[in-house]
Amino acid sequence: MAETSEARASASAPGGDAGGEEDKHDERMLECNICLDTARDAVVSMCGHLFCWPCLHQWLETRPSRQVCPVCKAAISRDKVIPLYGRGNTKQEDPRNKVPPRPAGQRTEPENTSGFPGFGFGEGFHMSFGIGAFPFGVFTSTFNFGDPRPSAAPRGTAQYEEEQFLSKIFLWVAILFVLWLIFA
Amino acid sequence: MANIAAKRIKREFKEVMKSEEVAGGTIKLELVNDSWTELQGEIAGPPDTPYEGGTFLLEIKVPETYPFNPPKIRFMTKIWHPNVSSVTGAICLDILKDQWAAALTLRTVLLSIQALLSAAEPNDPQDAVVAKQYREDIQLFNLTARHWTNAYAGGPTVIWEFNQKVQVLQDMGVDEDQARVALSTFDWGLERATEHLFS
Repeated sequence: MAETSEARASASAPGGDAGGEEDKHDERMLECNICLDTARDAVVSMCGHLFCWPCLHQWLETRPSRQVCPVCKAAISRDKVIPLYGRGNTKQEDPRNKVPPRPAGQRTEPENTSGFPGFGFGEGFHMSFGIGAFPFGVFTSTFNFGDPRPSAAPRGTAQYEEEQFLSKIFLWVAILFVLWLIFA
Repeated sequence: MANIAAKRIKREFKEVMKSEEVAGGTIKLELVNDSWTELQGEIAGPPDTPYEGGTFLLEIKVPETYPFNPPKIRFMTKIWHPNVSSVTGAICLDILKDQWAAALTLRTVLLSIQALLSAAEPNDPQDAVVAKQYREDIQLFNLTARHWTNAYAGGPTVIWEFNQKVQVLQDMGVDEDQARVALSTFDWGLERATEHLFS
């Protein structure tokens, strides 16, 4: 009883209950449009509607000849839904044994718009990319050059020798870097 | 019953109870049994239609495959409407058939049926006799629908002429519902209705 009267009091106070309402609203935002539960193995259609993949799969199976979005009836297909990967749901038991795995996400590399704006047209772009990668190749090989040497170092058991060795490597790296800065 | 169907109906039921329409009294939903497979809906006749002031009961049967297949709904209250059978109460509404979508809920379906009462589709009829009257004599259709609303759904408008004609046939020993159907079918011509009933 005490609780209800308190709830009423806070509800009547302006803004008192707003936080709770908002939370509820947020939860509903993430509900599957078919089972009305929080979407698991969530996928989203091109028209922006959220479903559990098992639910949507069953919907598509029910009417193979008329595959439309259950919400807005836009055309929909298995290839055109995007899975949503949230954080921290890796430990959930996998319900996809009964249905085919949900479609994989498609990853497109971002377009390289920075660096060589002059070559941003047609096929020429690919050429300029090759050239652009060259100095970076040198840079990486510098580090590759340094890498095997510490593994050869344990011959000298004394700590002092190792330190000497490391300092030599860093010296070389520094020299090469300076040379690269000058000549590249 | 499949788990998803029962679970969803439970959720929908809760949501309907919280909805504005229930608060406003335009729709209602009640459970018929404990297994969530059968419910009873109730819609108010929309204003500015012959159904105004009436309350219409609907039988709702939820299939095991819900929500992937539509619920089976029919009018339990008799109604004179081109898209509803005046005999069985069967409803001709696309979303209850091939246009069903899994995101539709009992609430949206009840609202769609209510909208159907405001906007009949005489070119896609369930009851050919009613649809014919709707197309050929809309005024008589409106009166007939109003009379049915009064007789079966608690509507406020009494049409004495029609009541008297029904009474005449009843006095001849005809069942009230049959008398009303016959009279409505023959545009309230007492002679033709009588002829039809006794032939």
